[in-house]
Amino acid sequence: MRGIEISLNQTQKIRLQRALKQLESLYLRANFNASVTVADTIPVSNEDTILKGHGTSERDGEVVATLCGVVERVNKLVYVRTLRARYKPEIGDIIVGRVVEVAQKRWKLEINFSQDAVLMLSSMNLPDGIQRRRTALDELNMRSIFEENDVVCGEVRNFQNDGGIQLQARSQKYGKLEKGQLLTIPPYLVKRQKHHFHHLEHYGVDLILGCNGFIWVGELVEARDCIEEDQLNNTEQQFTKSNTTKEMPLETRRSICQIANAIRVLSILGFNVTLEVILETIDLSRTLNLGIDEMLGPEFHVLVAEREAERRTSMTKRKG
Amino acid sequence: MEFVNPEGLRLDGRRPMEMRQLRAQIGAVAKADGSAVFEMGNTKVIAAVYGPREVQNRSQQINDQALVRCEYSMANFSTGDRRRKPKGDRRSTEISLVIRQTMEECILTNLMPRSQIDIYVQVLQADGGTRSACINAATLALADAGIPMRDLVTSCSAGFLNSTPLLDLNYVEDSAGGPDVTVGILPKVDKVTLLQMDAKLPIDTFENVMQLAVEGCKAIANYIREVLLENTKQLEYRRGL
Amino acid sequence: MLHSKTFNKKTRGGRIQKLVREVYLRDDIYCGALFCKSCEDKSKARLTATASTILILDTNVVLNQIDLLENPAVEDVVLLSVVLQEVKNKNSAVYGRIRNLIDSPARRFVVFSNEFHRDTYVQTMAGESPNDRNDRAIRVAARWYQSHLGEAVKVLLITNDRENKRKATEEGVSAETIESYVKSLGQPALLDLLVQPASEDVIMEEVEDMRPSKRKVVYPEHKPMSEITSGLTKGIYHQGKLRVNRYNPFEAYVGSESIGDEIVIYGRGNMNRAFDGDVVAVELLPQDQWHEEKSLSIVDEEDEEEDVHLVPGSSDDAPRTSIPVSSSTFDTNPVSSRPSGRVVGIIKRNWHSYCGSLEPMPMPAGSGGLAYALFVSKDRRIPKIRIQTRQLDNLLDKRIIVAVDSWDRQSRHPSGHYVRSIGQIGDRDTETELVLIENDIDARPFSAQVLACLPPLPWSVSSKDLNESNRVDLRHLCVFSVDPPGCKDIDDALHCTMLPTGNFEVGVHIADVTNFVHPGTPLDDEATQRGTSVYLVERRIDMLPKPLTEDICSLRADVERLAFSVIWEMTPEAEIISTKYTKSVIKSRAALSYVEAQARMDDSRLVDPVTKDLRNMNALAKIMRQRRIQRGALTLASAEVKFQIDTETHDPLDIGMYQIREANQMVEEFMLAANVSVAEKILKEFPECSLLRRHPTPTKEMLGPLLRTAAAVGLNLDVTSSKALADSLDCAVGDDPYFNKLIRIMATRCMTQAVYFCSGELSPPEFLHYGLAAPLYTHFTSPIRRYADVIVHRLLAASIGIYKLPTIFRDRPQLTSIADNLNYRHRNAQMASRGSVELHTLIYFRNRPTDTEARIVKMRSNGFIVFVPKFGIEGPVYLTMRGDKGGGEWFVDEQQQKIRKMDGSVSYSILQAVKIHLEVLEPKPNRPKLQLTLL
Repeated sequence: MRGIEISLNQTQKIRLQRALKQLESLYLRANFNASVTVADTIPVSNEDTILKGHGTSERDGEVVATLCGVVERVNKLVYVRTLRARYKPEIGDIIVGRVVEVAQKRWKLEINFSQDAVLMLSSMNLPDGIQRRRTALDELNMRSIFEENDVVCGEVRNFQNDGGIQLQARSQKYGKLEKGQLLTIPPYLVKRQKHHFHHLEHYGVDLILGCNGFIWVGELVEARDCIEEDQLNNTEQQFTKSNTTKEMPLETRRSICQIANAIRVLSILGFNVTLEVILETIDLSRTLNLGIDEMLGPEFHVLVAEREAERRTSMTKRKG
Repeated sequence: MEFVNPEGLRLDGRRPMEMRQLRAQIGAVAKADGSAVFEMGNTKVIAAVYGPREVQNRSQQINDQALVRCEYSMANFSTGDRRRKPKGDRRSTEISLVIRQTMEECILTNLMPRSQIDIYVQVLQADGGTRSACINAATLALADAGIPMRDLVTSCSAGFLNSTPLLDLNYVEDSAGGPDVTVGILPKVDKVTLLQMDAKLPIDTFENVMQLAVEGCKAIANYIREVLLENTKQLEYRRGL
Repeated sequence: MLHSKTFNKKTRGGRIQKLVREVYLRDDIYCGALFCKSCEDKSKARLTATASTILILDTNVVLNQIDLLENPAVEDVVLLSVVLQEVKNKNSAVYGRIRNLIDSPARRFVVFSNEFHRDTYVQTMAGESPNDRNDRAIRVAARWYQSHLGEAVKVLLITNDRENKRKATEEGVSAETIESYVKSLGQPALLDLLVQPASEDVIMEEVEDMRPSKRKVVYPEHKPMSEITSGLTKGIYHQGKLRVNRYNPFEAYVGSESIGDEIVIYGRGNMNRAFDGDVVAVELLPQDQWHEEKSLSIVDEEDEEEDVHLVPGSSDDAPRTSIPVSSSTFDTNPVSSRPSGRVVGIIKRNWHSYCGSLEPMPMPAGSGGLAYALFVSKDRRIPKIRIQTRQLDNLLDKRIIVAVDSWDRQSRHPSGHYVRSIGQIGDRDTETELVLIENDIDARPFSAQVLACLPPLPWSVSSKDLNESNRVDLRHLCVFSVDPPGCKDIDDALHCTMLPTGNFEVGVHIADVTNFVHPGTPLDDEATQRGTSVYLVERRIDMLPKPLTEDICSLRADVERLAFSVIWEMTPEAEIISTKYTKSVIKSRAALSYVEAQARMDDSRLVDPVTKDLRNMNALAKIMRQRRIQRGALTLASAEVKFQIDTETHDPLDIGMYQIREANQMVEEFMLAANVSVAEKILKEFPECSLLRRHPTPTKEMLGPLLRTAAAVGLNLDVTSSKALADSLDCAVGDDPYFNKLIRIMATRCMTQAVYFCSGELSPPEFLHYGLAAPLYTHFTSPIRRYADVIVHRLLAASIGIYKLPTIFRDRPQLTSIADNLNYRHRNAQMASRGSVELHTLIYFRNRPTDTEARIVKMRSNGFIVFVPKFGIEGPVYLTMRGDKGGGEWFVDEQQQKIRKMDGSVSYSILQAVKIHLEVLEPKPNRPKLQLTLL
């Protein structure tokens, strides 16, 4: 079984244990047990009206799981929702990726998928903001837009024939991410939601929860529209340098680290990472007046677990 | 040498049909997509799975299925005498190949075309049956990585010493030079995916020994299944709704 | 419950290695008491409810007192696995015996695996030696037993270790020494079985007044093991098995691989307490001390002497003679002297129990009490053993078995203890049993499990046998058998029919034993162990149970029997055209004796079919024999004798040389041919796992005595090949009609014995059978009385695809060990037969002092050894009085092999015929011996 790899003392262990137990009982109350492992038979009532989805296959007339996960049934569709697995892209997903290769008219991005994602030069807004055909010059200048190892935010555009995916970054909200931290967490902890961009003005921080488990915590970029106007007046060269020249205030840096650590704690504990929970975790650390480094200590993990247990209990009560 | 005494006990106190203590832990390598530690008695093996991911060497890319690669190694401290183990010697190349072929057989590679799956197994403590332990660890790691599989592969060895079939040989029994049958099966499909023996054994005796190994595989499969199910449940309830 | 045990071990390279082993501690190990309520599994339980005391033994008690434990007076014993393990490591023979006790359903011995029991496992504490740890484990187990079984029974720890006993008592475990326990049983006879403690101080106190002279150190100290090991690696010492000369117990040989030669060890002092068969470390003596032949005289340092014995059958039983190096010009062998050495340490003891009798001695004054006596083994290679007994008067005229316990530096003789007595000395049954025990022959009746494997009686060929697809019906053939008179285990029969083409079809039909003896059955296991039937003068000890031996398998006349047949088609010139192997059903027309067969052939009036076939076969056999001799087969002679036994008293009535007739040779010829054919077939089919028989080519050294003797009588023997030897033997015709046979007998004894081996172990050139001049040979024709033939039958059946090969054949080490056992058994059977003949010779001459002719075969400084052809015996004849050591009156001429009186008046030369007188004398009470004197 997966252990939580933090060193705890005896009381902390018991407290964590108790909190997890509580979570387990809450879960069992809410859900009937639908977990399966590889090669388990998935019970289905009448087979002919069934659509077999992901993580299932058929053997001797029975539906069998090919993955470990939770059986989900949507109308006729039966599929296994995996937990720990690589990212499964869906069109429209907002993702964060890292450039691994600059190729002919395209960038290749590592996005925790089984293949690298493709971002075509044509799916990019050019820095000058004008919609036009891409010239050979543009191609030569691709590196001035994104270089290798740059962190980029984008959206899943469509699937290619070979199973790979194409991205697009045609909006001003997409593009290169600078001055911040990239966190990678298991994608199943990120829920698909209406908003994945969060401008936390209070902290002066931008938070992007990429569906692929890549999370960006960076300096709040005030209004991208303003920059756009700036850029209109500047040369391309200046554009790339513009943000880096400004000094980031210490307070913002601390906030970035705090948020990042909160996410780390949550992902270690295996809790869902949503804006709400992240903010609550930060509040918790602030009320306890913990240093940023102390957030990664064992005590804080236990506290977060306990608080999460409490939160979910109260939520269920509210519902009930 | 006497490996089973007249009282029916082996050198380590087991009876001939008994397996060593099993222990499994999922998620030992933080950076890997899936990982596991598997122990059979004093044999301890760690496995890490990366992928499916972009194929590193384009020329190896297969257009309709995933490329499975495997690397087996033994830690320097894994045996009694600490010795520098050269990488890629005959034995590890062979075991790498065996594990790769066994795992490839059960991974639904056609679901992940143009990608690559890397399996790294390392023996941390060697006390006989490393081959089997590696396969079991790799299965756990693959399941943890959420890679679709036909079935769980499990493996177990059995030997034949003092005219007795013995399950799950430890190092002392293994080095006796008797026949050692390593079997890997797909327990639910009930198929054999691995069968190795480098000794001569009459066919009827062989069948008994192999049957014993298959029983061992099934017992391991049950254990692995339990571990995986418990792991899935834990992940799910921790995640919340 | 899981437990890891960690210990350090030194590797071969000298480094320290840390080893970790798992130990699984269990809760399903049961105490073995039938009355125990908490242990469920009673299948192995033996301890009865009546037992008031349960004994737990310490390792040393098992190791030393095994003879006592085998006595039924000791029961309800718990053997802890820690004890068994230690016993096994220290002495595998004792381990085997204790295992027999455990397995015996008649005894109440149980094993308790304390090392794997959850409550009795003990971990080595820091600084604790393995011995202390084991002692503690024993005490813990004893305590567990007491608390497990409750107060109803007393658990008694038997230990002779004072410290262990004290600790046990402190810990609340009742403990006693073996002596006090045996005393408490109240059976004084048991006390004789006790091994006296070996610690020197104890013995010395008791012994001092009796033999004060023994206080001095007699033997040099054995070197410590560490020194021996380092000495061996450095090449200062040489390791090897000590072999004592059967005919001179003061001379021993150590075959050393490091020198590649045998090291001779002269005298008990140099042997330094080593026994025959011990693995020893030897140090070479400086070359100037390499002894010359000292043993030329018949008598030696002590009053042991050469006995009259049977003529040896091969060089294995012949006296070892080192090459004498005399100052004379005679020196065919350039080797100046053989390396000699002395034993510095004993690596592995080969002590077991020995049979013999006590040296006659007067009853000690305080009769009934303890007495020390010297035991003389029948095996001359074993030194006298000192034992302690309370029943001296009872034992003096008995054959007894004695075991060796120790041999201190201070004592001249090893000390041992009495095990059991066999019977009156000189009694035929006792002496016969002695012969059997000496040769490790199991003469016990077959067990019920073995007998259960027999087919139901009365047995006859059933339709099922006939319908078997691979069994050919040969009942129409005119098959007959030719055997010695009175033979009941007939395992071969023959037939010979003339074919229309003028060729002959000749068949050898061998009893189909493997049809009844199946691999893996108790019957088969028993036969494997026995290896061969043993033929004594008055009885036969069967390898297979009697119903099989004498009825079901025996190819008797006029009954249908199953056989395994080899059938040849032969030209009249005895050329084999084709060979066929098949299982068959035959019906023998006649069971002839050699005499009858010979008579029929010789009687020209008889023209019945059997006789005609006999004549045809004889003609073929003669050609085959001629061809074989041309190939170089040796015709060797043996001095076999035949007794006529009184049917009522079983005493021998007459002795005569065994007569060989043409009929014998005829049967022999076809058997040889069958064996060769089968050997070829199985080797072709199974080149790796066939069981064959080889006869090694004798070395020059082995033929030395023969050459010297021949040279002395002016005969020149060519020994370069078997063919050359055969030819020169043929030419050796003197004016004396018996001369040729004598030379052949002497040649025979220079050869080693033929041995069985597994074909995968050697390379084809080594397969040669020297005596038969056959490149391949095996034994196929006597499966009733030899197990090797049973194996060969199975191989042949597998090679013609009738049965599949039993699994044992795939296991080469095991096959080799079976072959070794067969050789051992075969040799022992021969030795036992000889022993039995010697015994009966003695009985025969007891009341019949005889004068007869004898031949001188060997020279000694004070006499010579003669061979008595009529009775097949050999013995010393003294020219000088005993005790008068040579006296210089007689002079031995080595070159001429002559002994002559100093004044030249009388001389005797080798092979000369002399008249001797044979008489049984009793120089000491109960020690009859046959004495030869010159007339």
